[in-house]
Amino acid sequence: MRKLGGITLLLTLCAGTVYAENVAPPIPVGIAVAQTSNVALFGQEQIIGAKIAETYFNIKKGVNGTPIKLVTQDTGGDEAGAINAVQNLISKEKVVGIVGPTLSQQAFGADPIANRLQVPVIGPSNTAKGVPQIGEYIGRVSAPVAKVAPYAVKQALKQNQKIKRVAILYAQNDAFSSSETVTFQETVKNMKLETVTVQKFMTTDTDFTTQATAVLNANVDLVIVSGLAADGGNLVKQLRQLGYKGIVIGGNGFNTANVFSVCGSNCDGILVAQAYSPEADNPTNKAFVAAYRAAYKKDPPQFSAQAFTAVQVFVEGLRKVEAATKKKITQLDLATVRTELNKALRKGSYITPLGEISLDKEGDINQKTFYVSQIKMDSAGKVGKFVIVK
Amino acid sequence: MEGFLQNYGFLLVTLVQQALLALSLYFPFMAGQLSLASPGFYALGGYIAAIMATVDSCASLRNALGWTIFPLEWLVAALVSGILALIVGIPSLRLRGIYLALGTIAFVEILRVLFLNLDITGGAIGIFDIPQLFEERWSYILIFGPLLVVVLLFIHRLQHSRTGRAFKAIREDELAAGAMGINPTYYKVQAFVIGAVLAGIVGAMSAPLLNTWNARQGTFDASVSYLAYVLIGGSRSLWGPLLGAALLAALPELLRPLRDARLIMNGLVLVVASIYLPHGIVGALSRLWSFFSTPSAARGGE
Repeated sequence: MRKLGGITLLLTLCAGTVYAENVAPPIPVGIAVAQTSNVALFGQEQIIGAKIAETYFNIKKGVNGTPIKLVTQDTGGDEAGAINAVQNLISKEKVVGIVGPTLSQQAFGADPIANRLQVPVIGPSNTAKGVPQIGEYIGRVSAPVAKVAPYAVKQALKQNQKIKRVAILYAQNDAFSSSETVTFQETVKNMKLETVTVQKFMTTDTDFTTQATAVLNANVDLVIVSGLAADGGNLVKQLRQLGYKGIVIGGNGFNTANVFSVCGSNCDGILVAQAYSPEADNPTNKAFVAAYRAAYKKDPPQFSAQAFTAVQVFVEGLRKVEAATKKKITQLDLATVRTELNKALRKGSYITPLGEISLDKEGDINQKTFYVSQIKMDSAGKVGKFVIVK
Repeated sequence: MEGFLQNYGFLLVTLVQQALLALSLYFPFMAGQLSLASPGFYALGGYIAAIMATVDSCASLRNALGWTIFPLEWLVAALVSGILALIVGIPSLRLRGIYLALGTIAFVEILRVLFLNLDITGGAIGIFDIPQLFEERWSYILIFGPLLVVVLLFIHRLQHSRTGRAFKAIREDELAAGAMGINPTYYKVQAFVIGAVLAGIVGAMSAPLLNTWNARQGTFDASVSYLAYVLIGGSRSLWGPLLGAALLAALPELLRPLRDARLIMNGLVLVVASIYLPHGIVGALSRLWSFFSTPSAARGGE
């Protein structure tokens, strides 16, 4: 028995050092997102989006007849987990490309490894500055915060031209929120508005009396909050309860139905800029929304739409590789597929649930349309929805 | 062999790294002090290395030194951690037991909030694009491995020195130790500083390993896992933290094929070990050893 174990070990070791090895059908695409830890809330939505994409494109003949197969690895919420997951997908699962990781910080940890091993990575939700610049194999389909956030401020000014004094609040321990707030502060400055007060909080806070009082004392007409659903929602709730009447802009953390249950009727009227809207009018999005609604009886969130898009970009990229090399993917060796795929990803545009997008040379997304929605709550304050404002 | 290192190289390095962090907690433990400050110094060391490796004002220094900048980073991290530990340790080691633990948790939190708010530490996103010492992840074993050996030898020597015996005396009974002419505060601070220096060096070595460094490194969660390493492994022997760290850090990765169930397994090990092995795994093993190695007559059999 022990001998057998030794032989198997030897065989597996040999298998690791085979040089030119072809891609085996179905074509493996790696998904490295958080399925555990406190980031799993986003990771789960991403898995759903990616799985819908897998089914959708395999029904559409996959890559010219060869189906794709998603291989998922849990990254957990930390950098070490992301490195392990990515390493696993590359050397053990032999994926052609990777969708992930969930957090920008994890991307900074794990993406350099994929880049060194020349495996294309598409970030479905990395929004921090500098992610596509990690290397030539790194791209993303999540628009950076700097692009999305200003739309909400413009919309607020449309609703109330008299806005002059602005209060800005942000969660200082959240990477996304703290980079989003910089964009908001710059936008406010560029629009010749006055930032009267900047308040910080933690995503773990529950009592926001200090911040709310400071905002009320500053006598502002616009409040901009960058935080996650739980803390941001609570903050808005307490701000409203203490008597703030003006417009509230929520950052991307408010871009989820989870916020409705936190602030209830006090959510009403919050403006949120979105990179995705279920109402986007194109066939891919319609199919995606229909599949999501059929399974979960609600509208898909942005994280799922972006994960779907990431898988779509890979599938269409693989099709382009076949068109360019005039060979099936399964006839090419893995290393060639990875490098060719990376080149193909950056060419042409894609009609995705996010609308028409393309990747620039660095791998960053060019997205044509963004949306601004306003939260509308029913009279009981239980059920809410995002309504697009134009 | 290459395939194996590709797959498990990073895990191997992580194991050694976690073992070192567990040992950094073991030093105060030797003197009977429950300190959870290690993650704070780990984060500090990492930031020092990351800043020295990326900041523009250090560029000329980096060019002049070449790869020797890395040992310099470790040295600076060790020095700064040591000095900070001295400043924090003298007042906080007047606290005992659970109060010291609480004090050190507060210290870790203060550092975290500081790192989140300073400009030089990059806020919540942290510092990225940290230059690499080695191309491959597994090569990092070449720095973590020797450090582990040195630390183990150090502990081994320390245990039989005057200082080591003083630690032990304080651990067993601080009052009695004081009555015998041992200055408890002096030795407690010493143990605390040694642990902090080690954590700082490990942090400085880990920054290039992870490619990035941010305030999520070295949080309260990390304190708890390091403590678990020591307690599950056994707090009375230097092999305890080592074994505990190796086991608990490796489990979630080795159980990857179980997917979602892997964390359940991990939790199960923790629960079973803490209920049935009050002296940790090493404690149980050594009791088992003495049970079998003593002749049955000596055990009071007929």
